[in-house]
Amino acid sequence: MSTFSIGRKAVSFISLIAGIVLAIAGLGLSIAKTGNASRGAMLIGGVVLFFIGLYLFPTLKHHRSIINFIFLFPLLFAFMVTVIIPLVLGIGYSFTDWDGIRMKSVVGIANYTRMFKQPAFLWSILLTFLFVVFNMILVNLVAFLLALLCTSKIKGLGFFRAAYFLPNLIGGIVLGYIWQFIFSNVVTKFTGTYSMLSDTNTAFIAIIIVYIWQYAGYIMLIYITGLNTIPGDVLEASAIDGANKTQTLFNIKLPMIAPTITICTFLTLTSAFKQFDVNLALTNGKGSVEFLGSYIANGTEMLALNIYTTAVINNDYALGQAKAVLFFVILAVVSIVQVRISNKREVEL
Amino acid sequence: MKKKLMSVLLAGAMVASLVACGSTTDTTTTSDNTQTQTETTTTETPAADTTATASSVEPVRLLNGKPEINDQMQALAAKYQEETGNVLTVETIGGDTNASDELKKMYQADNMPDIFVIEANQAATWDGMLADLSGEDWTNKTGFELVDASMGTIGFPYTVEATALGYNADLLAKAGVDPASLTSPDAWKAACETLDAKKDELGITAVFGWCAEPTNLGWSSGTHVFGQYLDAGLKADDTTYIDLLNDGGKIDEARMKKFAEFIGMMNQYSDPALLIDGTYDNQVAGFKEGKYVFITQGNWCVTSPDDVSFECGFAPYAFEDGINTIIAGPPSYWVAYSAGNVDGAKAFFNWCAGDSAQNILVNDAGLVSPFDDCQYEAVNPFYKSMNSYITAGNYSGWHTMLKKDGLQNSTCNVFADYAKGKLDADKFVSTMAQVIADYYAQ
Repeated sequence: MSTFSIGRKAVSFISLIAGIVLAIAGLGLSIAKTGNASRGAMLIGGVVLFFIGLYLFPTLKHHRSIINFIFLFPLLFAFMVTVIIPLVLGIGYSFTDWDGIRMKSVVGIANYTRMFKQPAFLWSILLTFLFVVFNMILVNLVAFLLALLCTSKIKGLGFFRAAYFLPNLIGGIVLGYIWQFIFSNVVTKFTGTYSMLSDTNTAFIAIIIVYIWQYAGYIMLIYITGLNTIPGDVLEASAIDGANKTQTLFNIKLPMIAPTITICTFLTLTSAFKQFDVNLALTNGKGSVEFLGSYIANGTEMLALNIYTTAVINNDYALGQAKAVLFFVILAVVSIVQVRISNKREVEL
Repeated sequence: MKKKLMSVLLAGAMVASLVACGSTTDTTTTSDNTQTQTETTTTETPAADTTATASSVEPVRLLNGKPEINDQMQALAAKYQEETGNVLTVETIGGDTNASDELKKMYQADNMPDIFVIEANQAATWDGMLADLSGEDWTNKTGFELVDASMGTIGFPYTVEATALGYNADLLAKAGVDPASLTSPDAWKAACETLDAKKDELGITAVFGWCAEPTNLGWSSGTHVFGQYLDAGLKADDTTYIDLLNDGGKIDEARMKKFAEFIGMMNQYSDPALLIDGTYDNQVAGFKEGKYVFITQGNWCVTSPDDVSFECGFAPYAFEDGINTIIAGPPSYWVAYSAGNVDGAKAFFNWCAGDSAQNILVNDAGLVSPFDDCQYEAVNPFYKSMNSYITAGNYSGWHTMLKKDGLQNSTCNVFADYAKGKLDADKFVSTMAQVIADYYAQ
């Protein structure tokens, strides 16, 4: 009746049991810090033995799922270690008074209530939303215009495309310092006043300008691809029917690249939310503003930078962690909406 | 059959690579042991051929927070090994990486150095984890050690830094202003008017090289200049205003008002191109070129006598009559990790307070020695003036380092707004009071 030999069954069960025992022993030694040099080998050997046992497991019905699991394991393991476990730990830390070194007590939701009582943090959220809205509109507008320019019949097209894309290849920190120099040493020569970066309002505009300069080239490339996929016969037909340039743009090109516009909108949305490096290098969040009746000193500090400052500079890791959880929730909602909308569109197409 | 052989081979290769990875992680986890062993063997060799003192002390790891003196620290470690046979491993954290942040990672990774650098207000973070160094020989030779209420003597001072209004003595002499007279707001005002009137004659751009730009120089206004409000005119152990501040963020409004008026005078006579959006480099370069008479930095801004062609000195921030002190002391300390090699750290500290170590730290690294018996005069151009204040007892503490972490990022904006003219002196005081109270309330 049995399709499996006794030998195979024995090998399977012995490897499984020996593997589990070895792995647990190795793990136990590591946790107890006994300093036994072979503990690592024990752990790895145990895991390998366990998988051999699993592979040889005497079943026909589940063999395929076991193989699937074995092949997925390295990826799942890496995902667990680098994403899931830190996420769970991070959420856990946000309920404690962790200071980056020790955890003295669990404080419940105190960090969450505390962060909403900080006018500076509320200002950061508001500013981030403002920044996102401005950028979503402006980056897409500029990128689309650049894309139109780069799909027209001007000379030196390759040069223009490369030139517009180039800023995207420079890191945000470097870019921030370059533009800081431009704003405080070059622009001031023309305007005769002090640097744009010293006033909250103008500094905010400065960050938007730099961000558009950095990101529009990238979005432009996507729009170019979109524009190039418009079938030539449609354009030709419209030209024969006597459509002028504006009509072609609004009635043919724009509707044809609607999916591209969705993609680009969400790309700018999520990346603007996560804005950190340009913000850090350009103003480091400084600038004063009157908000909710008090003087706030982080006038240009966006959410990501606020989290960093809270944890690292102000040495309040647990509060920073609580803010990061909120940040994660916001981004998760945005991403889920994005996925929903793009899935719907794909179905329609 | 062939297929089966292939799969077995593949599986074998995977297992082998896994085991290989496993063994490397294994060596890193147990590196504590292996490292100790290899380092003790290297310890024995020089000990054997230089002196007979067999080194019973295990190697010591030091985390240095000053990247600019890394080379000199390595030389110090070599000298230490040559003289005592003990090994000192120096690791330097530099650039934009903040030592306290890096230490947290090291702590989580169970990879703590035996000696590391902290600022005074970080002692609380490490509460119960730093070794008590009281009773060590070196503590008798200095008054600058860091004493913590619960942990005892924990900090070894490796340098002394001073901050006040640094001046260009040659320019002052040319204008006929005696720096020793600058101990009252009226004297300062008169001096500023004289200097400002003689701008062209002296060839200066402005009286003050003062920069209130918050993004990159927030530490200067928010920590150092603000520190003058806390300490100017007080004895080194007087903690009146820092205690008031740390009691929920209170300030003495009368004192702050006088301070604000003094800063207002600095704003008025400062170089407008520098005041609001300048940089540290421009500020220091302007002072070195003789464009400014005063600079709002400390002895770190001019470290070599070759940098300047004039005599440098410090004048007090005399915003009240009779203020005659500069802020002087160690801005940060070396501490010994209590779970680490404390004996090794103690041995190193005692050696480090001695002659050959001070020779390297003072003459090569350009630091100012905190030890009374140090025979080397620092090369720093500000040293003479600094020393005259210290020996006369006219110095205040670096209590600004005891304020709540990150406060400088809020207060520096108030200085910037004041410099821009958005606030007047009264508004400066009220805004400062509100900002500080809010920050402490968080």
